[in-house]
Amino acid sequence: MEAMQRSYKAQKVIDRMAKKLNRQIAGSLAACVHCGMCTESCHYVLANPGDPTYAPAYKADRVRKIFKRHFDWTGRVIPWWVKADSVYTDEELEELKDIAFGKCTNCRRCSLNCPMGVDFAVVNRMTRGLLVHVGIMPKGVAVVSKDQWEIGNQMGVLKEDYLDTIQWMSEELVDTLGDPGAAIPIDKNGCAVMYTINPREVKYDPRTISDAAKIFYAAEESWTMPSEGWDMTNFGLFSGDDELGGAVARRVFEKAAEIRAKCVVMSECGHGYRSTRCEGQNWAGMDVQFEMESSVVTMLRYLRDGRIKVDRSKNTLPVTYHDSCNNARSCGMFEEPRELLGLVAADFREMYPNRAENYCCTGGGGAMSMSEYTPQRLKSAKVKADQLRATGAKVVVTSCHNCVDGLTDLIRHYKLDMKVTQLVNLVADALVVEKRVAVPVPKAVPVAALAGRTILVIDDEPDVRAFLTAVLEDNGAKVVTAADGDEGLALARKEKPDLVTLDISMPGKDGGKVFEAMRRDPDLRSIRVCVITGRPELRKLIYERPVPPPEGYLDKPVSEETLLTNVRKILEVAGDQKAH
Amino acid sequence: MAEFKAGDMVLDVDEDGFIQEPDKWNEKVAAALASGEGVDSLTENHWKVVNYLRDYYLKFGVAPMIRKLCKDTGFKLNEIYELFPSGPAKGACKVAGLPKPTGCV
Repeated sequence: MEAMQRSYKAQKVIDRMAKKLNRQIAGSLAACVHCGMCTESCHYVLANPGDPTYAPAYKADRVRKIFKRHFDWTGRVIPWWVKADSVYTDEELEELKDIAFGKCTNCRRCSLNCPMGVDFAVVNRMTRGLLVHVGIMPKGVAVVSKDQWEIGNQMGVLKEDYLDTIQWMSEELVDTLGDPGAAIPIDKNGCAVMYTINPREVKYDPRTISDAAKIFYAAEESWTMPSEGWDMTNFGLFSGDDELGGAVARRVFEKAAEIRAKCVVMSECGHGYRSTRCEGQNWAGMDVQFEMESSVVTMLRYLRDGRIKVDRSKNTLPVTYHDSCNNARSCGMFEEPRELLGLVAADFREMYPNRAENYCCTGGGGAMSMSEYTPQRLKSAKVKADQLRATGAKVVVTSCHNCVDGLTDLIRHYKLDMKVTQLVNLVADALVVEKRVAVPVPKAVPVAALAGRTILVIDDEPDVRAFLTAVLEDNGAKVVTAADGDEGLALARKEKPDLVTLDISMPGKDGGKVFEAMRRDPDLRSIRVCVITGRPELRKLIYERPVPPPEGYLDKPVSEETLLTNVRKILEVAGDQKAH
Repeated sequence: MAEFKAGDMVLDVDEDGFIQEPDKWNEKVAAALASGEGVDSLTENHWKVVNYLRDYYLKFGVAPMIRKLCKDTGFKLNEIYELFPSGPAKGACKVAGLPKPTGCV
């Protein structure tokens, strides 16, 4: 066999496996004794009783043989006994793809019954990652991964479109509630909650966004949505690509740190919750200082603390709850959604089996984006359809967007008379919003709002200096300017400004160095700093420094209004702190 | 690859029923696709949405944001869901002959 020529991709897969094996994966590959306890737990097996190729142990053996052959001593000594074998051709890799992506949703139900502690899903995820590494993956996975790498979210939503949509929801909510205070804040600093979502909400169905906003409003929460890093979903979990997983999670974490959010709340998305809260820090190789929670927990907290009131007679249809594999089996969120559901819906009916033992929605693991496997996916959904039908409920509630789609698809296929919804919708429908006295929103910046303030503008571009100077002077500030870092530091010492606007990318001493020098200098330490840069990727030059972060941060081009609002805010907060 | 029949036409569709050859789309195809999405007859309002989606897709190669669809056609969000019970992504886009939306939908 060894004389057989191995394809370039097959060799790469073996090389990559050497790097990706960790204790958990190696343990799962080594420990299987082929007892068959896992077989009946898999929804694919249940739908294909005569076909052994769907059994978790069989699927794992396609990878296990490679592991045994190349990485386990038993495979070197007694390969015929342990069924060790290598992989040689691209066709074999294609077959592996059809197993890893098409015959398993990584739901981990099979891991519950294994007496040896084998977690087939970690093996399957690694296999997906090895194949993705050599470019073998379903088209849907490739398209989405590319959008997440390049545009920063899985549906390629551009920043202006995202902001425009949030603005739209914000205006509608303000109209409905008749209170300008119900507007959705963007990038507000120091909030208790930074709310992150799944791109499908903003691209196709933003009703969940306005429902969440209504709940935050009713709870009088200090909250914001971020202008970037708002996509908490992560195709790295599905594709097995840890690098993608890390890059996506990092975007959320960096934004939360930048705006100093105390807690990142995630909308109801199972894989996003698991990726961001449980796996993200490992993939991204970073620790975070803020809390992370599912919006289910947040909403329940509001109810327990009496911050919101609900009337559950608004939701009278019989409801059942579907546990998403990532929320429940992988992250242990079982009781919170049930308690919440009991508070907002009048007629709750349990589904059996449930909690950790619940069956997959059959659309998990990215399956909804792989049309080529749809027929076998829908066939495997029979057990789920039976389970749903037996509840007698008219509404199935789930805290996962993927489950929403998987369930919607199978409900249609098996002609069940049910709707799918999420907790946020039910809570918002049952919400009793008390009429609040509208607080007048401050009018536009009055003239001479900056009277008596000295502001130092440090920027190497003459046009930018001229623009900032004009806007700030028009509003009453005394402005001094510097064209590079050294001149800026000298002027800061001489003029003792109230605020410095600081460019990052400059010849000579860059903004990052100027910033750190200011923070380390006892005389300059208390001067407020607002970074203004056209290159957001450089912000880490500022935030990674071991000194307190800047008070403000703006992207170029900056509008007159944004500049003034932010400068005023920074100076007013400074004033408040000095007064105390 | 599956097939879909619209009158005497046979079209290639993906396994989720989205047509693969946008050039072969016509009003009859749209009507046939619509009946599978819980829309028995296409009214003037349905056509307004369908034509907008199709024009946008032919121009930009992607499905529009729901925000753009509502803004440019003048429909409210809930009106879109009333017109297409299976939603804008899987319902309206399918009828308009767009490929399946990518990602978690």
